[in-house]
Amino acid sequence: MTFIYNRWKRLYHLLFSNDGGETSTAIAEKSLPDTDAPQEQAYASNMEPHLSGNTVEMNEELERSEVENESPNLEIHDILPLATGGKETMATETSTLIEKFESALDSLQQAKPFAKSMYQTNVFQLATELAGTEDGLHALYENASKYDEAGVFYAGPWEDASKLQPPLVGGSLKLKGVNSIIELLSEMRLLSIAKGDYQHSKLSQEEARSFLNEVLALNLDLLFPPETEAARVESGEHIERAERLFQYLGAELSFNAIADKIVGEIERLTVQRPIMVDRIKSMIEMAKNMVKSDIDEKSKESLIKFEKAITSPTPLSAEFPDIRQYQSKLKEADEEVLEKEAEVFSKSVQATGLVSPFHATFIRFINRAKPDLMPAALDLSETGIASYNANKELIRDIILLSIYPQTCQAIYGLGRMLDRGVLTQEPLIPAIRRLLELDIHPQVRNSLLKPLYRKNGITANGILVAGTVSVLGQPLGVGQGLNPTCQSARAISLWAQHGNGQLLENIARGARDNDIDMTFEGEVIHSSQLEGGVAGGEIHQDLDPVSKVLVPHLDKIYNEMMKKTLLRGEDGHKWVNPEFYGEWIPRGFLNLIDPITGYVSEFDAFVRLFYATHHPDYNEGYELIYPNPVGIYITNVHGNLLGLHAVSIQRIAEDANGEYRIYFYNPNNDSSQNWGQGIEPSVTGNGELEGECSLPFHQFVSRMYAFHYNPYEQGDTYMVEDSIVAEIKGIAQTSWGEAYTWI
Amino acid sequence: MDKSEIQETKLTALLGWSLPAIEAIDKLNKPYVVVGPPDFQEFADKNGIQFVAWDFEQLNERSIELYEKLAALNTKVAVPIYEETVEWAGALNAHFNNDPRIFNRSLLLRDKGLMKRKAQMAGIRVGVFEEAYTKDDVYRFLKRMNEALIKMDGDVNDPIHVKPLNKAGTVGHRLIRDAQDIDLMGDTEFPCLMESHLDGQEFSCEAFIHNGKIQFLNITEYVQLGHSNFIPASPALEEWRPRIREEVQKLVDSFEIKYGVIHPEYFIAADGTLNFGEVAARVPGGHIFELIERAYGFSAFQAQILCSDPDTTEEELQAFFPEEVTSARGYAGSLMVYPKVKLIERLNVPEELKTNPYFEKHDMFIPVTSKVAERVGFGNHYGTIFFFGDDSEKMRSLLKQYEKYDFYL
Repeated sequence: MTFIYNRWKRLYHLLFSNDGGETSTAIAEKSLPDTDAPQEQAYASNMEPHLSGNTVEMNEELERSEVENESPNLEIHDILPLATGGKETMATETSTLIEKFESALDSLQQAKPFAKSMYQTNVFQLATELAGTEDGLHALYENASKYDEAGVFYAGPWEDASKLQPPLVGGSLKLKGVNSIIELLSEMRLLSIAKGDYQHSKLSQEEARSFLNEVLALNLDLLFPPETEAARVESGEHIERAERLFQYLGAELSFNAIADKIVGEIERLTVQRPIMVDRIKSMIEMAKNMVKSDIDEKSKESLIKFEKAITSPTPLSAEFPDIRQYQSKLKEADEEVLEKEAEVFSKSVQATGLVSPFHATFIRFINRAKPDLMPAALDLSETGIASYNANKELIRDIILLSIYPQTCQAIYGLGRMLDRGVLTQEPLIPAIRRLLELDIHPQVRNSLLKPLYRKNGITANGILVAGTVSVLGQPLGVGQGLNPTCQSARAISLWAQHGNGQLLENIARGARDNDIDMTFEGEVIHSSQLEGGVAGGEIHQDLDPVSKVLVPHLDKIYNEMMKKTLLRGEDGHKWVNPEFYGEWIPRGFLNLIDPITGYVSEFDAFVRLFYATHHPDYNEGYELIYPNPVGIYITNVHGNLLGLHAVSIQRIAEDANGEYRIYFYNPNNDSSQNWGQGIEPSVTGNGELEGECSLPFHQFVSRMYAFHYNPYEQGDTYMVEDSIVAEIKGIAQTSWGEAYTWI
Repeated sequence: MDKSEIQETKLTALLGWSLPAIEAIDKLNKPYVVVGPPDFQEFADKNGIQFVAWDFEQLNERSIELYEKLAALNTKVAVPIYEETVEWAGALNAHFNNDPRIFNRSLLLRDKGLMKRKAQMAGIRVGVFEEAYTKDDVYRFLKRMNEALIKMDGDVNDPIHVKPLNKAGTVGHRLIRDAQDIDLMGDTEFPCLMESHLDGQEFSCEAFIHNGKIQFLNITEYVQLGHSNFIPASPALEEWRPRIREEVQKLVDSFEIKYGVIHPEYFIAADGTLNFGEVAARVPGGHIFELIERAYGFSAFQAQILCSDPDTTEEELQAFFPEEVTSARGYAGSLMVYPKVKLIERLNVPEELKTNPYFEKHDMFIPVTSKVAERVGFGNHYGTIFFFGDDSEKMRSLLKQYEKYDFYL
């Protein structure tokens, strides 16, 4: 059920021109592995996946060449005409370039389809030159419909404008090769469609506009290049070009639409209360400039709220934005001021799920001086207060060891952990205490201690405890990051909800021994003796501390268990899931794909059984007790299959309109929430608890391919109406189902 | 001309997959079929290009099969695009014309040992050469060569060249000065051809032959072998055109070449003495065909196709080819760029190049794989810069200047 990133576009890059002759190009070409080999005439070798673009920090300061001096000195101009020669030459150069570009387009236009690739190179080359200036960009815009129709995108991944995906744009633009310029041309084409200058047969003005808005919202770092990272020496012509493009797009499109998107995106992300908030913080950081532009008041307010939440939310912190100064002012402050601080901190966290570094300073201060304020500062419920009062000493030690401005986000987890009453399970108290002094394995220590933590004297135990507190407080805030390890994230999340003892044991084992063992059908599997894993042994480190410790082990163990079931002729998850996750998983299991043929067989029965076991109207009232790990098809906004994914059904309940919805946990922090066909998982507004997504029951079923069930608790499958089955089948067949054979 | 085109129903077969060649024949409105590696089948089908999948690399006794396939399609002539397809074209054309000798003639062009021997017998000046089967042969040849040059102990050796018998251009070429260089040779490089080093300016000719007669002779001046060249040659070299033409005709006669294009390479000494290097009968490298089109305005691919076809009439050819040298609109040059670094970080195309009036275009991008492939012979270049202007000396100095430039950092 690993998420297969098969949406990675296969892109090519021009390396060799095809002039025949000397070397045996024809024969070399033949050996290239790609199936669409003829394209290699102009393109050679595959490209990196787009996703890598997300991870690259490309925030060079925009150094725009001040080509056109705004204030030409008239006197000098009169005396020395040569002095302004620069400006005139540049202007002529651009116009020469435009001429060359247009003539290259003519050649491309006239070429027959099979020969287009020979003429694309020159167009890309000249477009690269033009994209170097604003005038040039404008010329590209003016020619957008012309180059699209001439065949600039012919036979490449950008050919069909209706199949483009906003999340892939940023990654392409940040690549060095020819693809970044093709991507730029594609954006210009969309802008031309969005503005109504170009009537496109496959894409409406509205579609183009919303595509571009999404692209802008997803690439705030290009729209608002941060000012701080100028230190990077590496020349980033392609980054500058991308930033120039975004300036252009930003100026052409209404900022309001984007502002809503950005704020919406930040809200959507925060409402899920993830443990890792770095990306949200950088979005806020970058969007804060927008507050100065002419944007919608509501969006502006919201942005200000978020910005304050991660900086200085309280009166005192706003007044003394230096953290040392702030702490000394706390010492002088009277009771009333401190109460106010506690209250405002809590409110800010409650509203945003984001914690300010000052909040950590405040908590550390009251931990020593005013522990009575703790319930207010942590925004505790009644359960939380009782839990706190029963474990004051442990909480004090946890705060001392692990709550620092650099780990401030764990404060939210701490409060929620207390509210969940985790500490009422007595065996957990020594299990947590054990982590405070655990002898951490040097390798694990290394991966936990980022330079930022080392510099501030935070120990690996401190990081580990902060991470544990976060996971216990926000079980649905666990994310897989950029790793294909949805299984492992789902396991951590499940244990954080229902298997706290097992989770803490695994954390201790992983952190101390750098090993975890599990038993599969009587056979003990040690992670330290395994190689590889779903992620190929390479775990991207942008993870919460607990995931950092556990995922490398869990991933290998899961993979090993799956290997042991390979030849059973049935989906191995049937046996692996109950052993891997634990006894919370029911033994009944159904996958709608026939493992021998790969066909979709007996889809109707699949739907009926799911309704009979899960839908309250058909399952004789048996409630879902523990989360159910299910497999779903991820589809893009057009309903096309992108890959397989693992989520957990958390609960099934009626929403305010009396419609049954499936509430689920999605370990993938994927921002594209539109699955096509009007299926858009919501994260708020339909009764979701924090961290949950939800869909109407039948919509969820239409994307599902495997689930567990309790064979002793089910209703009658024949009671499920044919019309329901037919509707779901229709949705499935016209989306992911198109990639399968149905029998 | 129009009439014959309309009536034409027999196919011309292009051997090897090359888009420029396909485009050229398509524009001639001549019916054609492309014979190429099977991987191109899908593309050909999608674009309505008549295609026969064939693996030229595999040596086999099945040329008759290819002939039968092509004959069934009513093919009359085969045009080789790549070095490896030259003997295939020979075999096919031998069948089409029922003249087995055509095949044997094509073999002369595919075995550099045979080629040199044939040239020598025809009274064409060549260097001293021998085939080598082991490293011992190379040691002995180097030693005997330098003895003949009356070298004493301690004198620097004159180098010799070794190259594969049947590879295009500079592929597998080695310059050998002493025993150490020989040690570097691998066993798979044998047998090979050894030859003495020839001094003088190297250049190539592209002669379009029809019915054994040179219809058009282009001279390509090499500025730096494997890196840069331009068309037409400078006046200093063009001055020798009558001599060169004579030599090329001698080659055509002795090799009994009737139709198509040949691409011989010569060295010319200051006194006009011409030494023959080697000759190929396919599309030359170094973007020479593109340069011909830029300078003279006709498609060299079309010229090759027309000249390969015995049915093309004298009038058609006269109408097709412009006058040599005088009709050129200017000098067209190309510089092939090889990265000088192992890892490519970025592209560095200087403004003064882009604003130079001779600069036309370049096709360099940062490759996706930043690691630079190891070079074989002169290797595959990573990009080409095209120039055009009306002064051959300016052209030469530009090509020299930018050959040293680091475009990839």
